[in-house]
Amino acid sequence: MSPDFLYFIETVLNGLMSGVMYSLVALGFVLIFKASGIFNFAQGVMALFAALTLVGLLTGQVPFAHLIHAIFGVEAQHWGAGMPALLAVIGTMVVMIALAFLIERIVLKHLVNQEPIILFMATIGLAYFLEGLGDLMWGSDVKALDIGVPSGGSFWWEDVTREWAAEGSDYFGMYIDKLDVTAAIVAAVLVVALSVFSQYTRMGRALRAVADDHQAALSVGISLRTIWVIVWSIAGFVALVAGIMWGSKSGVQFSLSLIALKALPVLILGGFTSIPGAIVGGLIIGVGEKLAELYIGPLVGGAIENWFAYVVALVFLLYRPQGLFGDKIIERI
Amino acid sequence: MAGDTARLAEDTFPKLLLRNAALFGDRPAMREKDLGIWQTWTWSQMLEEVRAFSLGLRALGLQAGGKVAIVGSNRPRLYWTFAAVQSLGAVPIPVYSDAVAEEMAFVLKHAEATMAVVEDQEQVDKLIGLAKRLPKLKHIIYDDDRGLKNYDHTTLHPFDDVQDSGRSLAKADAGVVAAWEKHIHEGKGSDTSVILYTSGTTGQSKGVMLTAERCVGAARDTVAFDRLTETDETLAYLPLAWVGDHYLNYAQGMVAGFCIACPEGPETVAVDLKEIGPTFYFAPPRVFEGLLTQVMIRMEDAGALKRRIFSYFMDVAKQHGEAILDGKPVPFSARLKYALGNMLVYGPLKNVLGFSRIRVAYTAGEAIGPDLFSFFRSLGINLKQLYGQTEAFLYVTAQPDGAVRADTVGLPMANVDIRIADNGEVLFKSPGMFAGYYKDKAKTKETLTKDGYVMTGDAGFFEADGQLKIIDRAKDVGKLKDGTLFAPKYIENKLKFFPDVKEAVAFGDQRDKVCVFLNIDLTSVGNWAERNNIAYASYQELANHPDVLATMEKHVRQVNADLAREPQMAGAQIARFLVLHKELDADDGELTRTQKVRRGFIAERYQPLIDALYSGKNECDITTEVTYEDGRKGKLSARVKIRDVERFAANGMKEAAE
Amino acid sequence: MSLVETLPASQRDILLKVDNISLSFGGVKAITNISFDIRVGEIRAIIGPNGAGKTSMLNVINGFYHPQEGTITFEGVPRPRMRPHHAATHGVARTFQNIALFRGMSTLDNIMTGRGTLMKRNLLWQALWTGPAEREEIEHREAVEKIIDFLEIQHIRKTPVGRLPYGLQKRVELGRALAAEPRLLLLDEPMAGMNREEKEDMSRFILDVNSQFGTTIALIEHDMGVVMDLSDRVVVLDYGKKIGDGTPDEVRANQDVIDAYLGVPHE
Repeated sequence: MSPDFLYFIETVLNGLMSGVMYSLVALGFVLIFKASGIFNFAQGVMALFAALTLVGLLTGQVPFAHLIHAIFGVEAQHWGAGMPALLAVIGTMVVMIALAFLIERIVLKHLVNQEPIILFMATIGLAYFLEGLGDLMWGSDVKALDIGVPSGGSFWWEDVTREWAAEGSDYFGMYIDKLDVTAAIVAAVLVVALSVFSQYTRMGRALRAVADDHQAALSVGISLRTIWVIVWSIAGFVALVAGIMWGSKSGVQFSLSLIALKALPVLILGGFTSIPGAIVGGLIIGVGEKLAELYIGPLVGGAIENWFAYVVALVFLLYRPQGLFGDKIIERI
Repeated sequence: MAGDTARLAEDTFPKLLLRNAALFGDRPAMREKDLGIWQTWTWSQMLEEVRAFSLGLRALGLQAGGKVAIVGSNRPRLYWTFAAVQSLGAVPIPVYSDAVAEEMAFVLKHAEATMAVVEDQEQVDKLIGLAKRLPKLKHIIYDDDRGLKNYDHTTLHPFDDVQDSGRSLAKADAGVVAAWEKHIHEGKGSDTSVILYTSGTTGQSKGVMLTAERCVGAARDTVAFDRLTETDETLAYLPLAWVGDHYLNYAQGMVAGFCIACPEGPETVAVDLKEIGPTFYFAPPRVFEGLLTQVMIRMEDAGALKRRIFSYFMDVAKQHGEAILDGKPVPFSARLKYALGNMLVYGPLKNVLGFSRIRVAYTAGEAIGPDLFSFFRSLGINLKQLYGQTEAFLYVTAQPDGAVRADTVGLPMANVDIRIADNGEVLFKSPGMFAGYYKDKAKTKETLTKDGYVMTGDAGFFEADGQLKIIDRAKDVGKLKDGTLFAPKYIENKLKFFPDVKEAVAFGDQRDKVCVFLNIDLTSVGNWAERNNIAYASYQELANHPDVLATMEKHVRQVNADLAREPQMAGAQIARFLVLHKELDADDGELTRTQKVRRGFIAERYQPLIDALYSGKNECDITTEVTYEDGRKGKLSARVKIRDVERFAANGMKEAAE
Repeated sequence: MSLVETLPASQRDILLKVDNISLSFGGVKAITNISFDIRVGEIRAIIGPNGAGKTSMLNVINGFYHPQEGTITFEGVPRPRMRPHHAATHGVARTFQNIALFRGMSTLDNIMTGRGTLMKRNLLWQALWTGPAEREEIEHREAVEKIIDFLEIQHIRKTPVGRLPYGLQKRVELGRALAAEPRLLLLDEPMAGMNREEKEDMSRFILDVNSQFGTTIALIEHDMGVVMDLSDRVVVLDYGKKIGDGTPDEVRANQDVIDAYLGVPHE
């Protein structure tokens, strides 16, 4: 195989891997949108908040340290050596569930039967609030997140691919980050788990019922409020997974919340109501960006990755507004 | 096979049941889907169920020689009833569950049934309604108690209660079971095993008496013929009272020891078929036709890529599928393509239809279109034809693996003796031959020749390779003036296999040549017209279009070429034809309500057309009275064109080779 | 047959009592001062011309609407401000005039949702997929299969209900309501839009439900003939007021009812 072709493969693979990351965020959007028709602008911030909390628990940070210092004058940054990764993940999950409860109690409960645009506004407010809360609790510095997810390039894969190159060409093998591979596997497991959950459990059935017909769901005794807490908890869980992956890759920093913006074109591509759509949309955007960078980038001076996804989304909005897999959504937004 | 000599000792079904329980005790005998879950009974469990019910029936007063009617769909308990009744030396009489009360009354009265075992409330209601006319009917036993709780239970019994009383008898005294089994062993092969009433399409139903040894003997032959074993499985969905179900499922199941699965209900058969995946399957041609239509509709709805893959591999299958099935030499590349097709198309398709595991499948009852037949065979389904009758306990002929044709019904079964009478009627003597019509010596005598052959009423002849070909009902077969055999339905069927021919009526008896009327299929020809931008305002206009006539002529010519290849039929090639100016309609009396052509009536009604056909004219004016859908009457006038068709030399080899 | 069932309807215990209910939407009166009762084990029809307030009445009983005046007493307990999902958990199940099924879900899943109120393990237990929860799921599945068998819809068990013909959807909706093992079953025009044969089938199922399970049924229906054959007692509404109440024969003889249906145009 010629090195050019191998570069192409490498680009595609890397595109797929980064696409998985987008998909993880988009997934959280889809879950909430399906069950409640709410476009949750705060999904990206939730991922950030989850990652911050996780790092905090891992390293034994004291929450609100700055606030405590300012008010009580007590200087207590750390309360110990931190906790084991598994415990920290569980702890973070508990925090995310508590968050879901609070969101339902404080925000959604009062907005039942309101226009979608009002709920959307509420989630924008939620996003800013969470961002501020995260800052206040855990500080705004960039933190490294390491819960033992393998990372770094795979030498084995480099060796294997070097063999593929034509004899005599100076090709040094493909670079693939183990972290990306892990993310892909995690995403796959997550999607399978979510669909099994929604197809074969009673809770999943209730979720599908609510997504299908609110009135009918009420008449069979499904409480909408319980369902909302559950949905937001699951979205919180997905945010946690996304937060772990993104945090491990590029550190936990506030720009993480911006990846939520990348999820938007992914959703436009995949459709707002389709879980497979979120995955495929993410992959297409990922691969598309990388290929565009490789082949068109030199012509326009690079940095295509920053805007390519939005152009694709625009094209889709013109020709197939419901996305690849989505239901007709014209009425809903 | 283990203990072949021991097997031959069993000449009744209860004896076979005892054998199966001993031989295949832990193997499945019956399945039924209940509340969404497949329940299974092993042979030993089935023996226990049958025994309990049998003892319960005896406690209710059933004795040897008694008659028990069985009414319902394919439920395990109704199958057990056959064995339970036979164990006592009594005779089960299955009755069509969709029979109207009148018909049911006739059968039960004629058979002098003292008990009836029925499926549910519907049947109970029917029988209660007939109670006054059936004074001999003492007990009704029902399977499903839904809606029956508040009925008077003096003569009405739940199946469970009867079994419970049988069980407590067996429990109280171990000798009871031994005596019951002893009684089975004392049963004789010459005892009547079952009486099957033929459905009364022609006159009153007749009760066909079949003896145990003949039933078992016939089933033995076919089980060996198709190598059925205890590992096979069928789905029983055909009417319980039809000889086909009793033979294919009950009799063969007992002999081979295979498992019978009962569907959840009549509407779920398709799903159940898929879940069970039977290895042995029977369906009349119209079922296969329905399946093909379904497949085609589904493909129409599929995406373009899927459709192309499908049509590509169906072409591969058409070319090589049957040859591969028959084990004939096929080029390696074709095998490779077929294997790929199997992975992508045939396999998934068969799975959807529930045909994945089929080893042997049969169709019978009417002529099957060659394309339809080939479609299923080319998928790798071993579909074959058989010919049979209630009076023969089903099989007279069947096609062995590797010698399957669409236009014949196979070779005589083992131990079957077939003779063709002078008028072309098929006569036979077979191991499963009936013992006579119940309480009707005169009819029995009418049906048998002096030397004891059964007259089938069907006309046919043997092909060079020894396969029997059925051409028509014997009474409809006539002769041309020169003495050539003329089988109108045979010719008509050949024409009707073309999708754009809806009806055909052939004339020729006592005339010098064969002429036909045709009806085009408005849907099919209409589609063609639309595709070719041919405008038409009515059936009449389309039927008279020169292109349509040309196509019809091509079809008739093709039929002639086919006929020329058959020495027996070559003389009756079609000389002239016309396309009728109106569709034959049951409202005008031209068809029966079951859509069969009434040849005699049509000949009278269109006398001018017939005259024109035989007088050599090229066109003919005719005015016909018609009845519109809303009941109004009107007149339809037309000028009908008549065409001559090329005929081929009798051996026809040259023309046929094209 | 239980002792209760042998009693004529008028002698049985009162299951639900509606007292002086009035309901208005922004000044428009939908229901004015209506009182009636539903007794254990009976089939009670609420009939009336279009716009008589039948569906509003059902929605009041079910908790979708809250009346401005009057009280509703269910099983001897006054129920002010009942919410729909509370009604469901307290033994009131219903169907809708325009079919409110989960169209994307299978027949089986739709009916399973009807069991929701009867499941003891809460949703969190279920999420963890514990042994007891699994056993419970199996028990409920069995109950649902009995309903499927009862309504003769085995062949559409796995079919998404959105693809079913109208008559079958109605039957699935009845199945879902039955799955809750309700003490009071509310049917909103169960036979609307059906042909004769489908109506006969549905009537048979309604009668069977009543006799087999002893379920008390309140139904709204437009088709007078069907109602008279089915019901033990009938309430007649017209312009939000009660104009008749009694056995089918009594109602048929009631002059006000005759006028409402025949004399006065009611479109």
